[in-house]
Amino acid sequence: MKYRDNTGWIFVLPATLVLGLVGLIPLITVVNYSFFEIFILDTRYWIGTEWYAEIIGSDRFWASLGRSTLFSVLILFIQIPLGIAISLCIPRGRVWVGLTLALIALPLLVPWNMIPSLWLSLLDPDTGILGRMIPHIGWPADWKLSAPLTWLVLVAMDTWHWTSLVVILCYSALTTIPASYYQAAAIDGAGPWQVFRFIQLPKLYHVLLMAILLRFMDSFMIYTEAFPINAGGPNGASMFLAVDLGEEIKAFNYGPSAARSVLYFLIIVTVAWTFSKARNKLDPESAA
Amino acid sequence: MTRFARSLPVIKRVVLFGFIAFACLPLVQMTLLSFVATLPTPDVSVGSLTFGNYSGIWQDPNLRAAFGNSIAYVVINILITVPVAIPAAYAFSRMSFLGDTHLFLAFIAFRITPPVVLTLPIFQLFSNLGIVNSVFGIALGHCLFNLPISIWILQGFISAVPKEMDETAFLDGYSRPQFIWRFLLPQIASGVAVTAFFCFMFSWVEVVFARILTTTNGKPISMAINALFGFRTDIGLVMAVTVASMLPGAVLLFAMRNHLSRGFKIGRV
Repeated sequence: MKYRDNTGWIFVLPATLVLGLVGLIPLITVVNYSFFEIFILDTRYWIGTEWYAEIIGSDRFWASLGRSTLFSVLILFIQIPLGIAISLCIPRGRVWVGLTLALIALPLLVPWNMIPSLWLSLLDPDTGILGRMIPHIGWPADWKLSAPLTWLVLVAMDTWHWTSLVVILCYSALTTIPASYYQAAAIDGAGPWQVFRFIQLPKLYHVLLMAILLRFMDSFMIYTEAFPINAGGPNGASMFLAVDLGEEIKAFNYGPSAARSVLYFLIIVTVAWTFSKARNKLDPESAA
Repeated sequence: MTRFARSLPVIKRVVLFGFIAFACLPLVQMTLLSFVATLPTPDVSVGSLTFGNYSGIWQDPNLRAAFGNSIAYVVINILITVPVAIPAAYAFSRMSFLGDTHLFLAFIAFRITPPVVLTLPIFQLFSNLGIVNSVFGIALGHCLFNLPISIWILQGFISAVPKEMDETAFLDGYSRPQFIWRFLLPQIASGVAVTAFFCFMFSWVEVVFARILTTTNGKPISMAINALFGFRTDIGLVMAVTVASMLPGAVLLFAMRNHLSRGFKIGRV
């Protein structure tokens, strides 16, 4: 049971104030801008929902939305099962666990703007480790002209970068399973699949929900890493939602970029709401 | 025992080694390049082994300053995030108050808001507040994603502490803040360490806020690396800076490895 107590607000007040400053105020500003035509910030004209109509009516927006969705779905279907599998493979001995986790987590420490550079140098036909090997198995030198190969590189890069997070989260949940559960399963003659299905997987639900949410949104709005690989090409095949927004911000198009931000935020709120619904379903007793 | 069950340990080992090799491959590439001279200089020919890239970092005052800036803003960010997150995590874990689910939802929504969506207004807001081009600006900006994630991690740790502890302390006449400070904090010390590590990890490598909030001054490492790209990019130096930028994280990771491997209780498991 939780205490029913509105003094809870005092405890969350500092966090609410900080997030209000760096989150809510900028968000309100963006909503405000999105209804204006702005040349310089002092002179602006109310134009209502024109920017929204323009974005919603453009094929470019829907194409980017489709690409981002496809990318996120691919990422989830690869990284979540892979992350679970790797976390199950981590050995039991104390020393090895620490070392393994430390090695696996290394990609998370690379500055994001260097990640595309790392992969491009890895694929470099003259000096890259992979770049010198893969032409022998039919990898063309002009892979940047091929949309599927560009996507392959992007997916491999994101999998390399972020699967470790899924592994760490899953592993943390697995270690909370008491040894007696496994002993009971062994006595009952449960095979590895049954142990996974009925003992390990249920313990992973909460963490997986969070991992799915983080991986979905971060890949859906991939920005820094995606563009330098192939400059959005070939023929815009790797132009994602956040890249479009980034272009408008660089051009200082206040109105359109604000309207775009608001649209993206609506997507975010929808996703967060679905997430909290799923969370309450897992855990009906405590709703917070 | 089926044949599958007997060969499982071998399969597991092969899969794990395969994944570690995959995780390390780009890093090996990076480390190799960082020891190669990639621009012609009078005394070293291109392609030969050299330590020149690393001494180049030390000789460049911009790069030295960048390391200082990065460490400064990450430390400030942790000093803001953790003390603010602890009471909030406590409230979400222990108390039921009006609107708590909606507030949690709002926090999560801010965590998954990509920084690029808020770049323009945050830049304007922070320039009005006069904290652009300073490490404070970046530290505060990064609270957008670090604060919700910290609350979430800490909430898991606090929920693992038995509620009887709270009640005993209240019976003994301690108030809630006193309880948090004297009894709860020692219990969740490793949780605070894990939280601080995650803050470091997400903040150290972020580039969108780091870019827009530092146009002239206070540039962190990631932006200093960006500045190295140009007409003739010394890719060896770039790789050496990247390797160096990963060292503090790697040291922390190694120090934290037992906390991570002991399993941290996340999301009420």
